[in-house]
Amino acid sequence: MKDIWTNRLSEYIDGELDASERDALEAHLASCGQCYATLADLRDVVARAKTLVDREPAQDLWSGIRAGLVTSEPRRQAPVVARRRFAFSVPQLLAASIALVLMSGSAMWLALRNEKTLPPTPAAVGETGRGNQFREARWKVQSDQAIAELQDALDQNESKLDTATVRIVRENLAVIDRAIAQAQHALRRDPGNTYLNLHLAKAMRQKIELLRRANALAES
Amino acid sequence: MPRQVLEDTLTADSIAADTALAASGDATAFERLYRTHVARVHTLVRRMLDADEADDVTQDVFIRAWQKLSTFRGESAFGTWLHRLAVNVVLARRKTVGIERGRFIADDQPLDETAGKPVSPELSMDFEEALASLPEGARQVFVLHDVEGYRHEEIARMLGVVPGTSKSQLHHARMALRRHLDR
Repeated sequence: MKDIWTNRLSEYIDGELDASERDALEAHLASCGQCYATLADLRDVVARAKTLVDREPAQDLWSGIRAGLVTSEPRRQAPVVARRRFAFSVPQLLAASIALVLMSGSAMWLALRNEKTLPPTPAAVGETGRGNQFREARWKVQSDQAIAELQDALDQNESKLDTATVRIVRENLAVIDRAIAQAQHALRRDPGNTYLNLHLAKAMRQKIELLRRANALAES
Repeated sequence: MPRQVLEDTLTADSIAADTALAASGDATAFERLYRTHVARVHTLVRRMLDADEADDVTQDVFIRAWQKLSTFRGESAFGTWLHRLAVNVVLARRKTVGIERGRFIADDQPLDETAGKPVSPELSMDFEEALASLPEGARQVFVLHDVEGYRHEEIARMLGVVPGTSKSQLHHARMALRRHLDR
């Protein structure tokens, strides 16, 4: 047995009735026990749907996927890169990313900054190639120094962190280091590749951020 | 910084790093992405299609993800991108195999006529099994709306129906499933 309102109960639950329909349905619910009970059931169904859990497949599917990857390499986007009129170098990208990180500031970084020189601003547009090369080289050195300093600080701070956190930090550093190594390797073959440059800059920024956060956590 | 927040951040960072590595051709990084996301993808596929198709379609989703990684721009999380890709693969599969008949519950089908009847023990099946027993169209609308959180307008676009049909199918699915709630 159902009435005209039964089929509107889901819309009511989802808040899709207009005000007049909602008022009429609520008035109906006050006098119809069956619709009231059905509404409660439907709310239970909606709530139950939110609690369903994901399950692993019964068997590992990776071997089949791995076999499929052999014949289907990721599609590169070389044409897009080739159309770009400008390509940024690693040092330039690092300059921008590290400057952002440093500007965001943290107590840890500021503490380190007392003894060390901050990386300079990015090379200005229009400077000579020789000037750029000099600044790029300096950026590279100073970026590596920043990472080395933060890494040293973390080595000293690790004892202040619990074992699980240290493990997570190390695992993530390893992932980022692999990304950096891959990008550097690829850039040796294709130095002007914008995607690779961006990827390397991003990975180095992530490493600095991770080291900074881990040190901040240890100091907190 | 709370430890959970740190762990979430680091997990997101490692997924982002693995995504970039996989896009450059690193199959090992892609395997890590697979391990992280396979349960979610396989469960979605299993609920949307028949269980015996789930393994094949899940493999297809990950192979397509590998092929399309270069189009992933990072505007959303990798998991979100992969999930949307999985939905598209499932819906494309539905068209490919030509499942047309019996997809949707007819509006006048008396699914809810048993309302108020007590649930007999033999009908008290697992909620997932009850979900799997729904007609495909109603099941897909229910999964997309109530489990995955899509809106009716999005579902209607994906399934090629009007939003009213999506709403109607959702209601019928809920009415059918309420008889299989744990009591």
